[in-house]
Amino acid sequence: MLSTPIKYLIALVIGISLGLLYGWAIDPVEFIDTTPETLRADYRADYVLMTAEIYNSDGNLSLAAQRLAVLGSQPPAEIAAQGYQSALEFKFSDADIALIQRLMSSLQAGGN
Amino acid sequence: MNRANPLMTLIALLAGLGLGLAYSWGISPVSYTDSTPNILRADFKDQYRTIIAAAFASNGDIERARARLSLLGDNDSFQALSAQAQQMLAVGRPYEDVEQIVQLASALQGQKIFASPTSPSSYSAQFTALPTLTPLVNAALVDLTTIPQSTPLVITTTTSRPTQTLSPTPGLPLILISQEEICNSELNSGLMQITILDERRRQSPGIELTITWDGGEEHFFTGLKPELGNGYADYQMTEGVTYSLKPENGNPIPNIIAPACPAPNGSFLGGIKFIFQKP
Repeated sequence: MLSTPIKYLIALVIGISLGLLYGWAIDPVEFIDTTPETLRADYRADYVLMTAEIYNSDGNLSLAAQRLAVLGSQPPAEIAAQGYQSALEFKFSDADIALIQRLMSSLQAGGN
Repeated sequence: MNRANPLMTLIALLAGLGLGLAYSWGISPVSYTDSTPNILRADFKDQYRTIIAAAFASNGDIERARARLSLLGDNDSFQALSAQAQQMLAVGRPYEDVEQIVQLASALQGQKIFASPTSPSSYSAQFTALPTLTPLVNAALVDLTTIPQSTPLVITTTTSRPTQTLSPTPGLPLILISQEEICNSELNSGLMQITILDERRRQSPGIELTITWDGGEEHFFTGLKPELGNGYADYQMTEGVTYSLKPENGNPIPNIIAPACPAPNGSFLGGIKFIFQKP
């Protein structure tokens, strides 16, 4: 026979488990009003691609770095490099990958 | 005594449940690292639209821009872009900043918008497991009648609009399709009202208008009073002053004078309403 405190402890543990199950799986916290930092890798890569497309047109590296800064606190060159890796992973077209690569190289050369 | 009190057991269970919820909701909620653009905060959505518009200005790929816009989950991307352009103009952002958004809105408007943001294209295939998004609009084109009109206007007679030969050619000057004097004492005296329509007779926001008079000039834009219509703008005329109105990419309309309208006890200063349309 289990002692009474053990039984209470088991009840407590069961309660905690149910609470975690409900809070993490059944009805987790719903996130709205998220920031671009939290975007999934493929969306981040597309954001980097948009920046690269604009950079390819206007050649404004400083503005491109500012645009990338919304994706996180890392240096823009690092964000571009992550975007490049994701673009490869998600099989973006060669032309798109080339644009991102160009932006990444420019940022790395520019010390950003 | 080795027998557990059922009440105490229940309390322990509930306490555990409370602790579990506090931990899972408050201390360590599900971390959100793979979010989608449709749940971005409103200002970030604006920023996202801005960069989509800038990318469109760079690559001219409307399908790509449309696919990107669809990720934001707006019910109507055109309206979302128009509203954003109006807000930007209203807070004094220079037109250059707004121009790309207006151009993208116009490009969307210039095409039939079908509800297929996840249609098979090489572009959208890049995204894995795209979230189910609300279609942009119905497959049918939005008709002009669905666009809010300038309801405060009291127009007793409607000038029938000449039949337009629709042409997709951009860049042709706006055509003045209607000009009428408004004698309504409930409106501001001397009010010049301008409505700009596109080739599909939908109201066009962000069109620059220039008013000139002897010794002065003023610039303003359509869409700054969205409650009166996306393509609406107005200007307060002064009695006795002769104005010239020139819409962006349009011919100037000279010799505009606020009319004197008859009233039981004399007269009052009336207004004029112009409607321009893209050919």
